[in-house]
Amino acid sequence: MEKEKYRSMFLVEAAEHLQAMSDILLRLDSDPENRQEIDALFREAHSIKGMAATMEYEETARLAHRLEDDLDLCRKRGYMSAGEINQMLAGVDLLEALHDDISQERPERSVEFYLQALTLEERSEGPVSRERSQPPPGEEEGTKIAGAAEPLLIQIDLVDTVPIAAPRLLVLLKRCSEFGIVLKSWPSLEHILSDKVDGRLLVQLRPQLPTKEIHAQLVGYSEVEEISFPKPVVSTGLGARPQKSASVRVSTERLDQLINLTGELITTRYQLQNALKQRHLKDLDDGIGQLSRLVKNLHHQVLQVRMVSLRALFSRLSRIVYDLARSSAKKIELQTDGADIEIDRAIVEELVDPLTHMVRNAVDHGLKDKDVGVISLKAWRDRDQVLVQVTDDGAGIDPQTIRRIARERGLLSSAEVKMVRDYDLYQLICQPGFSTVDTVTGISGRGVGMDVVKTAIEGMGGLVLIDSTPGAGTSITLKLPLSLAIIRVLLIESDGARLAIPITRVIQAIEISPAEIHSSSKQLMVHYQDAFIPLLSLRKMLKQQKGGKMKELPLVVTEVMGRRIGLVVDRLIGQQEVFVQRLAPPFDQIPGCAGGTILGDGQVVFLLDLQSLLERRKKRI
Amino acid sequence: MPGQVLVVDDALFMRNMLIDIFSQAGWEVVGEAENGEQAVMMYEQQRPDLVTMDIVMPVLGGIEALKKILQLEPEARVVVCSALGQKHLILDALTVGARDFIVKPFQREQVLEVAERVIAS
Repeated sequence: MEKEKYRSMFLVEAAEHLQAMSDILLRLDSDPENRQEIDALFREAHSIKGMAATMEYEETARLAHRLEDDLDLCRKRGYMSAGEINQMLAGVDLLEALHDDISQERPERSVEFYLQALTLEERSEGPVSRERSQPPPGEEEGTKIAGAAEPLLIQIDLVDTVPIAAPRLLVLLKRCSEFGIVLKSWPSLEHILSDKVDGRLLVQLRPQLPTKEIHAQLVGYSEVEEISFPKPVVSTGLGARPQKSASVRVSTERLDQLINLTGELITTRYQLQNALKQRHLKDLDDGIGQLSRLVKNLHHQVLQVRMVSLRALFSRLSRIVYDLARSSAKKIELQTDGADIEIDRAIVEELVDPLTHMVRNAVDHGLKDKDVGVISLKAWRDRDQVLVQVTDDGAGIDPQTIRRIARERGLLSSAEVKMVRDYDLYQLICQPGFSTVDTVTGISGRGVGMDVVKTAIEGMGGLVLIDSTPGAGTSITLKLPLSLAIIRVLLIESDGARLAIPITRVIQAIEISPAEIHSSSKQLMVHYQDAFIPLLSLRKMLKQQKGGKMKELPLVVTEVMGRRIGLVVDRLIGQQEVFVQRLAPPFDQIPGCAGGTILGDGQVVFLLDLQSLLERRKKRI
Repeated sequence: MPGQVLVVDDALFMRNMLIDIFSQAGWEVVGEAENGEQAVMMYEQQRPDLVTMDIVMPVLGGIEALKKILQLEPEARVVVCSALGQKHLILDALTVGARDFIVKPFQREQVLEVAERVIAS
């Protein structure tokens, strides 16, 4: 069979089925006797089994078959217990991990431990627990089995300079077999013996020693670069992110629209050629009008192909909240709104980690001292932007705590601490290493903080806005562009050069008179809304010549590193949609430049990245 | 004292080098053998904590000697020594039951690291 040809098709379809399974299971959690949902779940598992078997993805097929069998029992019985739902979710996680293996062209991981875990349950509890006639409300039968069967994945990376890797891997594999029962290894023993290896060994085993002990036993090898214990099945986040798929599903309707548009474009081309031949200016003008309408339409349609709804991401986050609520024994209600909002799929992919982190933060920090809480996940569209908001009804952030930490860490001077508004203060939690929590928990607070969120969002040309009311909760809003490739920019001029700033980064473009400028020590400030913001000269930042005096100062109010600033430019030109292209290396390393675009008149304009420009300046000081 | 070691190699130069490395690190070298047959005999008499075994040797090769030693003592700790190009011989020796291996040319630290690790396990 031409397996390769069907692989990407399999991946796309399987991902949809897995998504559906996960969604149904979360719904069943609150409605475990819904027969229609169980039926639907059964059909999803059945579809995956069929596809995987056809593609000869043996482990996937085995696992899907098992889930199908289990669901068949539940279906006949008419309900699923909480333990079974949990067990089934673990199964779906494992299927997602297998899906990941296939998409990464790795050998499939073994599902043996999962199948055996269920066998264990059958053995220890007998058929009673699976054939029980009464629904056991809230019973957690799945958890203890999961604990007993937890397989451990050991990853050993050799240093590059190891002269002969295969024998070293063989020694290590034998060593690992002393730590427990080896279920599978990559490369396999056969591959090691036939010298088909690189510098990495992955061993999946049912451990008989604590992980710490295993680690201690393995550190004595100077040929080993790194020992890690990747989670074989990650139930939250990693294994299950929306796929970076190489293929995209396009409806035939959309395809027809594209073909029609192309047809119209061809017709217009003939019209224009004809008008040119006859030197007929009126027709030429009409034709160009027609052309720009068609191109705009085409652009819109093509963009639509790249658009996906936030539904998959939202349901992934629902699952995370479900898991977090379970592990922290809290009752958390999740409200979602706007899952149908569509956005560029590249942005959705980039949003997984930041949003996961934000949701975890909301549970871990926001709802820290509460047993019952509400987390709301909202998305809406505002012209060219998509806004995604995570809100909790927890303790909120105490501005005084931030003031104290900001002063302790030297982020603000004592004078600044007094002057800064609460709103601006909240943005400080995005500074690297800023954490108001001293303890590290399993959920969050592991050093990956809001600064990572901010970097990721700003990397896409977006903004992070934080608002909090002590005692009432915290709300974090992400302002995102609709698409990464084509964005709306504000064109400005500085010392004769035209530059572009993504509109998502611009809070306002205004003109002020020199009389409005205040000077506080060396820094020039201007009153904006109800605070003073510092003025920075773009000419100075770009090391251009000093400009002359102006009657009106054009100002771009923007936010950099959590603080509002007023950027003084020579001229505000206007807004425009541009197609941004990354610069080829090594030019992509130039600080302050996020890419380039070509304007209608052929002029190349660079996209200004104020963040990196200012960071560089800060380092120099 | 880290332990007792038996050094097996058909080249006198290699034996001397290993003996120096081990004695300087405080090991007691209880014997040296220049072929597999001698090695098995000396193992039976001395029962050392560790054997370093060259693979390619006259009379009786390292892998055959390893098998015989393991018949005498299944828990015997034998480390094979071999040149870079003999990867498959090393894999064979490991499959038969060698605990670890050292690649020639020897590096002092490497030899001691392997020896100490094998003794500790």
